[in-house]
Amino acid sequence: MFSVLSYGRLVARAVLGGLSQTDSRDYSLVTASCGFGKDFRKGILKKGMCYGDDACFVARHRSADVLGVADGVGGWRDYGVDPSQFSGTLMRTCERLVKEGRFVPSNPVGILTASYCELLQNKVPLLGSSTACIVVLDRTSHRLHTANLGDSGFLVVRGGEVVHRSDEQQHYFNTPFQLSIAPPEAEGVVFSDSPDAADSTTFDVQLGDIILTATDGLFDNMPDYMILQELKKLKNSNYESIQQTARSIAEQAHELAYDPNYMSPFAQFACDNGLNVRGGKPDDITVLLSIVAEYTD
Amino acid sequence: MSPPFPMLTVLSMFYYIYLRRRRARTATRGELMNNRRAIESNRPLPINVELVQYAKEVLDFSSHYGSENSMSYTMWNLAGTPNVYPSSGDFTQTAVFRTYGTWWELCPSARLPFTRTPPNFHSQDYVELAFEEPVYPTAVHVLETYHPGSVVKILACSANPYSQNQPADVRWEVLWSEAPTKVNSPQARQFTPCIKQINFPTNLIRLELNSSLLDYYTELDAVVLHGVRERPMLSLNTSMITLNDLDDDEDGEREDGMDCLNKQFSATVFRESTTNGYFDKLPYELIQLILSHLTVPDLCSLSQTCKLFYQHCCDPLQYIHLSLQPYWARINDTALEYLQPRCVLVQWLNLSWTGNRGTISVSAFSRFLKVCGSELLRLELSCGHFLNETCLEVIAEACLNLQELNLSSCDKLPPPAFNHIAKLHNLKRLILYRTKVEQTALLSILNFCSELQHLSLGSCVMMEDYDTVASMMGAKCKKLRTLDLWRCKNITENGIAELASGCPLLEELDLGWCPTLQSSTGCFAKLARKLPNLQKLFLTANRSVCDSDIEELAANCTNLRQLDILGTRMVSPASLRKLLESCKDLSLLDVSFCSQIDNRVVLELNANFPNVFIKKSFTQ
Repeated sequence: MFSVLSYGRLVARAVLGGLSQTDSRDYSLVTASCGFGKDFRKGILKKGMCYGDDACFVARHRSADVLGVADGVGGWRDYGVDPSQFSGTLMRTCERLVKEGRFVPSNPVGILTASYCELLQNKVPLLGSSTACIVVLDRTSHRLHTANLGDSGFLVVRGGEVVHRSDEQQHYFNTPFQLSIAPPEAEGVVFSDSPDAADSTTFDVQLGDIILTATDGLFDNMPDYMILQELKKLKNSNYESIQQTARSIAEQAHELAYDPNYMSPFAQFACDNGLNVRGGKPDDITVLLSIVAEYTD
Repeated sequence: MSPPFPMLTVLSMFYYIYLRRRRARTATRGELMNNRRAIESNRPLPINVELVQYAKEVLDFSSHYGSENSMSYTMWNLAGTPNVYPSSGDFTQTAVFRTYGTWWELCPSARLPFTRTPPNFHSQDYVELAFEEPVYPTAVHVLETYHPGSVVKILACSANPYSQNQPADVRWEVLWSEAPTKVNSPQARQFTPCIKQINFPTNLIRLELNSSLLDYYTELDAVVLHGVRERPMLSLNTSMITLNDLDDDEDGEREDGMDCLNKQFSATVFRESTTNGYFDKLPYELIQLILSHLTVPDLCSLSQTCKLFYQHCCDPLQYIHLSLQPYWARINDTALEYLQPRCVLVQWLNLSWTGNRGTISVSAFSRFLKVCGSELLRLELSCGHFLNETCLEVIAEACLNLQELNLSSCDKLPPPAFNHIAKLHNLKRLILYRTKVEQTALLSILNFCSELQHLSLGSCVMMEDYDTVASMMGAKCKKLRTLDLWRCKNITENGIAELASGCPLLEELDLGWCPTLQSSTGCFAKLARKLPNLQKLFLTANRSVCDSDIEELAANCTNLRQLDILGTRMVSPASLRKLLESCKDLSLLDVSFCSQIDNRVVLELNANFPNVFIKKSFTQ
């Protein structure tokens, strides 16, 4: 019985594979972004796209569309360091690497590694740490290549259902994997994960697939069913409607984050870990919402 | 007797007519081509349409601040649209060269300059940029975002780097050239020199730079080439261009053609004049002394004037120190062959920047060295991309007395070639900056060249383990005085310990951008205690350099002249004050991006120690 099922799946996969191969059109991502800083500073504040300590980028090159989010770790404020500097520089460097074509679409971890190395090459002694999530759509192969380090993440939604998602990487509760540059005296004390520790996946996408990439500020405050509900309202793939949906998701998450009686996924998870917590999790929220569309110049 | 002559005349007449017709035909074909191109580009008046292009690719350069496998501060940032302009400051996204000012000429590793350098040759560094489409340049804009003023020359090449068929003779034309100027502001500017028109389309532009007057590293963001697809057709202009061209061509061929000119001269039935007037009264040595002030092309011109000067100008004593670097664009196989009989006694030879794009062949270079290499003490071959393993083999065999070898930025030289250097037992100076030298080759060089005093291994990316290399230096190179390990990726405290105890004569040590050195292991303190002669120490971008290191330096290395501790958060003004008080000779101190040293501290230190240049770079 089992073998028949798996056989059937193989056949289905082969058929689907054959179909996707015959589709010679190039795909691309139409992406809109929205976000909120923790302390009500809305919108684009600093250089580039930063929401509080979060940062994100959307870039394109001949062969691929690339986007990413990063969540700067707030604890660095105690060292007198602006946490958004690290995440912001990381994302801006990723953007530059993509724009100059110094990447391979099938290796998003490579983008993260190269970007982290560039941070170390800066004359300015940067300090800080950040989670990061990179999503690459290879235009011709229609493959989505992703790299995720820490608790930011992405969802791929098809027909109202989540068909693919990132895995969260945590050392322990509320301490995600992170890229970091520590001052010499704190070396070994601060969590510092190699970019190679990033979880890397590959997924075949279809036209109309929705990809939602966001920092933990969204996923900690909004469960899947709420996100899917919002996404259902998205009817077409023009930029304005995507922008509108992204905004409504971000706004809803932002409201929930400050609702003291709401049982957020974060509070749920905290309870599972033996902490009696209620309410949302006030945090920076960054949402990148993309739709797989046919590529036009 | 007579019949052949009319035949010949008739034949030559036919030939003449044939030539005329051919020329006419090629002309029409050229016009056709032009017309077609005009249609393709869909522009009614292509002459007036100016094309504006950013550099597509950086093809070649002599040095850069950045690492070989990253983007920050590398020459590759010159390609594409500007990243920083119109902002000013010290940014990673720009192109930065390795040196600035005269600091590198004042340190123990400095080399003596070549005499006879023409007064209009100022270039120290270069970068070559390729653009998408060849154009007749109308303007070149250089976007300088930090400490501008270093560009001294802009050249255009007739060869198209993106085309398969190359012209037989690769021509370089100077579009603009000037002496370096002091620009007082470090602020960004768009540099738009007034350029000369040239008579060929180009998509290969070369900038030559001189940073000697600058207060800090210059940073270039982008280069814009303005130009037209068709040759400007204004009749007045064209005729002027052709006249210029003729002049230039003559200039270019002067050297190569000199040989045959000389032959013609000696063949002509000149009545042998026995007297040379007053020159007969001058002693031979005095004339030689006067001639020693001439540049090489002048010497060659002079040799065409009379027999006496011909004799003087061919005297090998005039070519003991020969630098052909200023004439890199014109040096080819013929030139080398022409100079060969005069260079049999040459001791210093500078062929840096020469021979690229096939102008010097391996065989011509080998022939030259086999004849002229025996006395050679110093050989400069930086950016010599014609070099291959055979060349290095010839150097090792022909130049047994060689003491100085410079192969910096010969990044196309394959790793096995470096094995031959170990045969040069008398080597005192070896510069392998930005080469692909590997560990085995370097270890055998260190083992056999025990006279080494100056060694540059900056940005050698193929080296596997610098600790092994450092311990070999400590064991074998007892005479080492200067060592450049700029951007070596994996030297640790163990390597430094071996080096410090094995090479007590070290006066100069560049450990800039060596990220694996940690002050907590005590490596810098050990350096300070074991190397009291240190005059220059670069610890650039080592984030762990701290107050105790500075205090050790202050206590032990009182001869210190240059110190770079850029980018550490752990050095306080108090320790710097201590250092400045005890190191009286200190003249350069780079504290850029040291977060405890703010502008107020720098001002105060400047006031108390006016002889020290304290550098504090900024990004905003």
